[in-house]
Amino acid sequence: MLSQEKIISHRLLGLQHGIHQLVLRGAIAATAQPGQFVHLKVGATTEPLLRRPISIARIDRARGEITLFYRVAGRGTALLAGAKEGETLSVLGPVGKGFALPGEGELLLVAGGIGIFPLFSLLEAVDRSRVKVKVLWGAESREFFEGAGLAVLRELDVAYEVATLDGSLGQKGLVTDLLASNLRREGGGQGMLPSVMPGFGRGDSVLRVAACGPRGMLKAVTELCLRQAVPVEVCLEERMACGVGACLGCVCTVTTAAGPARRRVCTDGPVFDGREVVWDEG
Amino acid sequence: MKVDLTTNLGGLKLKNPVLTASGTFGFGEEYARFYDLSLLGGVTVKGITLQPRIGNPVPRIAETPSGMLNAVGLENPGLEAFLSTCLPRLERLNTAVIVNISGFSLEEYAQLAAALPEDSCIAAIEVNISCPNIKDGGMAFGTDPRSAGKVLAVTRKQTRLPLIAKLSPNVTDIGAIAKAVADNGADIISLINTLLGMRIDIKTGRPVLANTMGGLSGPAVLPVAVRMVYQVYKAVRLPIIGMGGISCWQDAVEFMLAGAAAVSVGTANFVNPLAPLEIIHGLEAYCREKGYHSVQELVGLAHCKEELTNDGKR
Ligand SMILES: Cc1cc2nc3c(=O)[nH]c(=O)nc-3n(C[C@H](O)[C@H](O)[C@H](O)COP(=O)(O)OP(=O)(O)OC[C@H]3O[C@@H](n4cnc5c(N)ncnc54)[C@H](O)[C@@H]3O)c2cc1C
Ligand SMILES: Cc1cc2nc3c(=O)[nH]c(=O)nc-3n(C[C@H](O)[C@H](O)[C@H](O)COP(=O)(O)O)c2cc1C
Ligand code: FES
Repeated sequence: MLSQEKIISHRLLGLQHGIHQLVLRGAIAATAQPGQFVHLKVGATTEPLLRRPISIARIDRARGEITLFYRVAGRGTALLAGAKEGETLSVLGPVGKGFALPGEGELLLVAGGIGIFPLFSLLEAVDRSRVKVKVLWGAESREFFEGAGLAVLRELDVAYEVATLDGSLGQKGLVTDLLASNLRREGGGQGMLPSVMPGFGRGDSVLRVAACGPRGMLKAVTELCLRQAVPVEVCLEERMACGVGACLGCVCTVTTAAGPARRRVCTDGPVFDGREVVWDEG
Repeated sequence: MKVDLTTNLGGLKLKNPVLTASGTFGFGEEYARFYDLSLLGGVTVKGITLQPRIGNPVPRIAETPSGMLNAVGLENPGLEAFLSTCLPRLERLNTAVIVNISGFSLEEYAQLAAALPEDSCIAAIEVNISCPNIKDGGMAFGTDPRSAGKVLAVTRKQTRLPLIAKLSPNVTDIGAIAKAVADNGADIISLINTLLGMRIDIKTGRPVLANTMGGLSGPAVLPVAVRMVYQVYKAVRLPIIGMGGISCWQDAVEFMLAGAAAVSVGTANFVNPLAPLEIIHGLEAYCREKGYHSVQELVGLAHCKEELTNDGKR
């Protein structure tokens, strides 16, 4: 749960978006599951005070290594960027309930921006000889993808489609546009389980969606999926203090038989069934 | 030399003086994954209310220089679910449990105190008087000596368990509040609760917390807390549980020198889940080095002798 992890490699992937790749060796890799995250101490002082949550993007059990991708967003991640190879970091984790791992059928991974990172681990974990996988990924522009681990997708040799806001790569528009057309492609009518791509399985095989990205995008993804009765899992983000379920700082709201209820994003999530998340909170 | 760590706080007997603070330790189980909680002096669980509460919307957390703001809004399952679900699990943790209660009226405090069994793992009740007093127009019970005293008086009638009055630091005269709760049946005083604070996001121009304001905790509040423990030690004879920014054994020693007979670790758990254990070990080593046979010899040493005799209090 609390591990001193050694920094095996640490590098900046692309200047413009400040995304770093950090490989850690230690005890976490042995039990980490796709969709879980680590809660990292980024410095030795009380400034900043709290740990920072970062998704586990790749898990290499044989080498005892996990890979994290993070974007420099403020003080904490800027400090983390200064950590050197060979140093150790205090890492709490693996934390949380991750993605369900389908054993068959089809899986669409839908990512907005840096929301791709937790999906990498799911992509690597599914048995792609039995599950057809495709990635839909949206971001601002072409440069983003190169600096955000597009190489990982190429290396894993997976089918993917991208969308950019400025049209500089892939389709111009939003990742939800990609999702909508993929869900439509094989005429998945109301209530029917659609098949995704031409040649993408046997028409009746179950399609699932796993998504991570900004909240507005996740809401739209969930709505699209619900309309077609496609099960969808979403990976949520919230400000965290403890990261272990003790402080109730990181809650989201879900619908239950007994009415709306709070769930802790850190330990009850971060992955939730999209159907149960209450997206518009007062 | 063996150092005696046992701590006796007016009827609340602890194996050592290190507790965990309410709201930072869930209902215990979350940290049981990191170590055996029976090593602690005890745990204080999340504040409970009569009815379940869903708490505030998010964001509930904002970071501050060496500290944090929280506006959880007392989310808790309510008394009934606490008794049926949480309490049986707490029994299994094999440690002294302090139950923190919050009421929105005097009757609610009384009902909560009456419902907590005296023959369970519950070792004491901590009465959180920082809650808004709805009937008297929304002012917190804990900011006025008379209403603070009343809360303790009504709770006292309902239980024989040791009563801890948890004081709010958002007052001008902490000594007056301490006297009021001492005169009305409190056995122990704990302090400080969080200091009211606020942050604004300069990008959006809006408050960071959905609740606008929240409670400040962590290292940033430590000197305020030490000062208030010092003042309360002078004002009343009751044993004190000191808290506010304690993250290492040195901080704990400082609180004990100021007059705390025990300490609670709160926000530090979030940063270092092992902090309470490290503090226990550090306290023991410090006492051994200084030649104290009991950790209780530290309590109040910062108050110089003359001051105490003039004061006539201790
Ligand atoms: C479960 C989870 C997984 C995450 N995975 C990744 C990842 O793989 N890669 C990545 O680049 N980022 C990830 N994030 C976001 C990352 O935690 C924040 O960008 C980071 O905490 C910002 O810290 P800072 O000090 O640099 O920024 P600051 O703006 O200085 O942070 C101030 C405070 O706000 C909090 N905060 C700021 N932005 C966020 C945010 N988006 N989510 C939650 N808290 C925030 C910080 O933790 C801190 O308490 C994840 C967040 C969560 C909750
Ligand atoms: C997230 C959080 C929740 C809290 N909830 C409660 C509570 O329910 N009841 C209470 O009396 N104090 C509550 N507190 C206050 C703490 O018990 C403690 O008094 C305060 O945080 C100062 O100690 P610290 O700086 O070590 O955290 C809470 C504090 C935090 C940070
Ligand atoms: S961060 Fe504390 S409960 Fe989730």
